[in-house]
Amino acid sequence: MGLIPWRGKQREPVTTEAPSLASLRGEIDRLFDTFVREPFGSLEWPFAGERGWIPAVDLAEDDREVTVRAEVPGMKPEDLDVTISGSQLVLSGEKKQAAASEGKDFYHTESRYGAFQRSIPLPQEVDPENVEAEYAHGVLTVRLKKCPSAVARRIDVRAGGQASPGSPPPGAAGDRPAPQPGP
Amino acid sequence: MAEESNMAKTAAEEVSSAEHTRCGCHFRPNVDIIERADELVVLADVPGARPESIDVDFEDGTLAIHARVDPRQDPGVEYRVHEYGVGDYYRTFHVSEAIDAGKITAEYNDGVLTLHLPKTEATKPRKISVKTR
Repeated sequence: MGLIPWRGKQREPVTTEAPSLASLRGEIDRLFDTFVREPFGSLEWPFAGERGWIPAVDLAEDDREVTVRAEVPGMKPEDLDVTISGSQLVLSGEKKQAAASEGKDFYHTESRYGAFQRSIPLPQEVDPENVEAEYAHGVLTVRLKKCPSAVARRIDVRAGGQASPGSPPPGAAGDRPAPQPGP
Repeated sequence: MAEESNMAKTAAEEVSSAEHTRCGCHFRPNVDIIERADELVVLADVPGARPESIDVDFEDGTLAIHARVDPRQDPGVEYRVHEYGVGDYYRTFHVSEAIDAGKITAEYNDGVLTLHLPKTEATKPRKISVKTR
């Protein structure tokens, strides 16, 4: 399963216009953004349950490790689950609504509450035994070390006669389930 | 999103105003607003912010939340998946209720800023008992 595009935080330009005009424009921009980025956003997400949500993630990779960061504010570390299943990193948990919304209280909500699960395909060379997860200020950081054998090695090319074309070295761009090939 | 804006206007109307941030742009944090009989509670999601870098201002009925966020990644790192930006959070609200500004409290836990804005005595609902003679 591929990665699910997620509408991230909304970036807003600083504006010096009069508040009423600026807020109207902001509203129009927001509607436009909503339509462009999630044209089916008003539909119930079919895989995530009734009140499900999907946290946004960043995945960065360098020679030695893969770093995954997810913004999951308002959680407790014990409510977060990080598991490695095959070549997938699975982040799951449940965000509980801290303030009970009693019937008589007026409530306006933009945050998402409830259970979430997010599977992130990992590069093949990650060592499942060497993973660290940390939660601070609402950001979950998972660091996955790569197998020592997967760290890029230089292979000498010998001059030869009729050698069959070998497979690409581990860590080559084609091995990765990345949206774009490496440099 | 029409629903959102209508609801927001009842308790706290959002305003846009000029604000100078370092990068010239900012993120709008998601907020929950709870109106109770004696107070407004604002819960703002500002993941990645440190408590000492959050400013909350309340002046002339306008509540402003500004949280500075340091970059998490070295600029040279290449992202395979990049779904969200990292930067400052900023959002302002018009609060129509009379708020006792001196008693506003703020706490920050796990990326969520919680503001308690107590209403002034005059705006708190008061039950008047009807007496019979």
